[in-house]
Amino acid sequence: MAKAELRIIGSSPARMGGVERVIGKGVYGIDLMLKDQLHGAILRSQYAHAKIVSIDTSEAKKVPGVHVVVTAADAPDVRYGRSYIDRYILARHKVRFMGDPVAAVAADTLAIARQALKKIKVVYEPLPVALDPEEATKPAAPTLHDDMPLPKTIPADAGLKNICGHAVVHVGDAEKAMAEADIVVDEVYETRMIHPQYLEPRIAAAQMEPNGRLTVWANAQAPFPVRQETAKMLGLALNNVRVISAGLGGGFGGKGSGITSGAAVEPICGLLAIKAKRPVMIVLDKAEETISTTIRAGAKMYIKTGVKKDGTIVARTGKVFYDAGGYSGFGVQAGGRCTNMLGGWYLMPNCHIEGYSVYTNKQVCGPVRGPGGPQAAFAVESHMDSIAAKLGMDPTEFRLKNIPKAGDKIVGVPKLRDVSLGETIKIAKEKIGWGKVKLEKNQGIGIATGSWIESAGPGGGSIVKVNEDGSVTVHIGKIDMGTIPGFGIPMIVAEELGIPVSDVTVVNVDTDASPWDAGTVGSRGILVSGGASRLAAIDARNQIFKMAGRQLEASPDDLEIVDKQIRVKGTPAKAVALATVATNAHNVIGEVIGRGYCDNLELMAEEKAHGSSQPFTTHACIVEVSPDTGNVKILKYVAVHDIGQPIHRAAAEGQIEGAAAMSIGQALCEQVVFDQNGRTMNPSFVDYLMPTINMMPRIETTLVEGYPGSGPYGAKGAGEIACVPPMACIANAIFNATGVRINKLPLSPENVLRGLKEAGKA
Amino acid sequence: MSVTINTKINGQSVSANAEASTSLLEFLRDTLEMKGSKLCCNTGECGACTIIYNGKPINSCVTMAADANGAEIVTIEGLANGDKLHPVQQAFIDTGAVQCGYCTPGYIISVKALLDRTTKPTPEDIEEAVSGNICRCTGYNKIVDAIHLAADRIAGRA
Repeated sequence: MAKAELRIIGSSPARMGGVERVIGKGVYGIDLMLKDQLHGAILRSQYAHAKIVSIDTSEAKKVPGVHVVVTAADAPDVRYGRSYIDRYILARHKVRFMGDPVAAVAADTLAIARQALKKIKVVYEPLPVALDPEEATKPAAPTLHDDMPLPKTIPADAGLKNICGHAVVHVGDAEKAMAEADIVVDEVYETRMIHPQYLEPRIAAAQMEPNGRLTVWANAQAPFPVRQETAKMLGLALNNVRVISAGLGGGFGGKGSGITSGAAVEPICGLLAIKAKRPVMIVLDKAEETISTTIRAGAKMYIKTGVKKDGTIVARTGKVFYDAGGYSGFGVQAGGRCTNMLGGWYLMPNCHIEGYSVYTNKQVCGPVRGPGGPQAAFAVESHMDSIAAKLGMDPTEFRLKNIPKAGDKIVGVPKLRDVSLGETIKIAKEKIGWGKVKLEKNQGIGIATGSWIESAGPGGGSIVKVNEDGSVTVHIGKIDMGTIPGFGIPMIVAEELGIPVSDVTVVNVDTDASPWDAGTVGSRGILVSGGASRLAAIDARNQIFKMAGRQLEASPDDLEIVDKQIRVKGTPAKAVALATVATNAHNVIGEVIGRGYCDNLELMAEEKAHGSSQPFTTHACIVEVSPDTGNVKILKYVAVHDIGQPIHRAAAEGQIEGAAAMSIGQALCEQVVFDQNGRTMNPSFVDYLMPTINMMPRIETTLVEGYPGSGPYGAKGAGEIACVPPMACIANAIFNATGVRINKLPLSPENVLRGLKEAGKA
Repeated sequence: MSVTINTKINGQSVSANAEASTSLLEFLRDTLEMKGSKLCCNTGECGACTIIYNGKPINSCVTMAADANGAEIVTIEGLANGDKLHPVQQAFIDTGAVQCGYCTPGYIISVKALLDRTTKPTPEDIEEAVSGNICRCTGYNKIVDAIHLAADRIAGRA
């Protein structure tokens, strides 16, 4: 469909479910109340690393109002994990981070359940802890998992340990090219763990049904993986587990990785419900959540680049130590992604980077918003400015000199289709006033670019049911957390079926009824559910045209739907209402049911033939650095993004602005702080700083169009990429203001002041 | 120990028993099953539980339910007039300020309290009024847009 014909796509209609949410009737997981439900609570390890000598639950069981107390001994002896199958739902033999679940209680009230937790006697034998991902790989470090082998690609005599993931980027001959470079810049960058801090705490509710099936309610981004893993962990047949999604109060990838995300809160709740023979609900306390659920991991990145005098990049080498946490979680995938992205998204003829995902005694890495990307970009884009400074080149000119064009390859991408990178840089320069704006004392200007994956992944389907009044019900496997299901999907279906957006209802995920899906993850909502829903709506439309054609005595090819009427093109008077056709369908095929798929193989073939149409972005900002306090204030912030064709414009902007805010938070203040024993020092919101309105600049968003992606109408994913540039963007502006390069996050007053002092500037 | 709490919520007299240790948020959500006010940090930091208490916005998670005895309370459930949304509610929808929507009830309450005081809020007024409301989805742009739109509509400027 030509762009000019789009009626709805690209506008900003009211979100589905908006009214419920503004009147306080939006139902989130936390709002559930099952009849006769018990309250569950989880006992968590008080040590970051210890052997479990014994667990005595007898006193806890005696507390009046307690129904069951469970430990690992009550669950099947099976483990879970994405790459390494290394984790029990309740710790067996050992605990590996403070927050590791050890036992659980179901009781009449939450107060009783918590009281009972205190009566569980666990005898631990504390072990030395490994907290730094680089140190943890050395022979002297304590071993976290005795029975987990090193990745096959690491030689046994390499003298390395605690590694669960190994990624290697190898292009050309980096060593040789580096030796021939005019200038070599060698740096180290470090980022810290942040928690996604979605506002709605993790919940799980579970109930055994009379027919022997277990129903689980979850506020998880990936209900189908939760079903699969919960069934496996409890020894139930897959078809005896049903997972129902309630609305999510945020997720950001933190709720995205099956049962790993919530540290197995769903199967633990299921276990309690089975043993108690009563429905059970668990609501995590926010501080408990900060120490136990999945996070954006910290990374230590060595990066070295060789350039010619004219600014041409000739080689890069690097090393990544990515903090997986106590279990492999999503650390292998995120660490691999970080390693790849350390190669940058510029022309890079020679490159060698080794990346290690490393076990440490900290909570587990999840696929939090752009897993691996923001960390790598902090290093890559800060480093680009360091190189530009060494060359005496303008940072934007240096970048523009090395940008790829259509048909080129970059690290991890064999062929690019269209490349918007240069245009985003140019627009960002213009919007921020690069080289024009007059900076006052202590002010600086910075720029950073970014990219994100636009590649194939798990497929997914959509079912579009046309009701007899012409309204439509859509079933997809992705949940709504302020993302595509509530915003874009109704628009796409309405666009194709000639109905108002408000006539489309997208149903919450129920694994008994929804098409399978890997979850609302990876910026793939638009690509998977958007593409599938468009095809499903077209399939439904074809069925409608076939039936309407009979009635109107016209060829289906000559029909169109406009304003809920099916009419003969060019003869608008010859028409029948959509509702009439949908009602008449009862006597023909029953119901118009359109089906569509996002076919992963087709996407891959398309990408192979024409190249990847991945999105690019440039952010730019002006900051003011206080030489007295080290405080950094952002005075202006622009975000220029190519996301292909925007589907819901305001929602796309909202995704960009929210993602940028999360990384601006990580840049300026956010981090989970550990003491030397691996105890989280700032679990509650009192101590965990994140951006409030008075800290945030207005993010001035520009959408660059004209670079179509592989999603419907040429859309690209927009949920994660804006997390990529902000940290380096701000660090570069600080460098511009002060001449001081800060290589470790956060760029907090304390760290900035230290940097200034070390450079003799404060 | 159980106490009887007599209060007025959204114009309706309410009388119910609750444990003396119950927070006002728990009283609303668990005792009265009014789930509109949201539980998040439970330490008065995030604003998801904001309600209007005797005319002022407060965090109900760090207020004792017993303190509500004799108080007048407005919650998110009490803002719309039948099917007609309060201008702040409508503005949040119209500007795309509702992403996941979990902070939305608390936000709308804080903004309503602000716009009850002034329909020409300065940027400083806005910062002060909602600096205790954390939104993790929007980056605050659309929320600021919603506040201005609601103010303009209430004042008849839009």
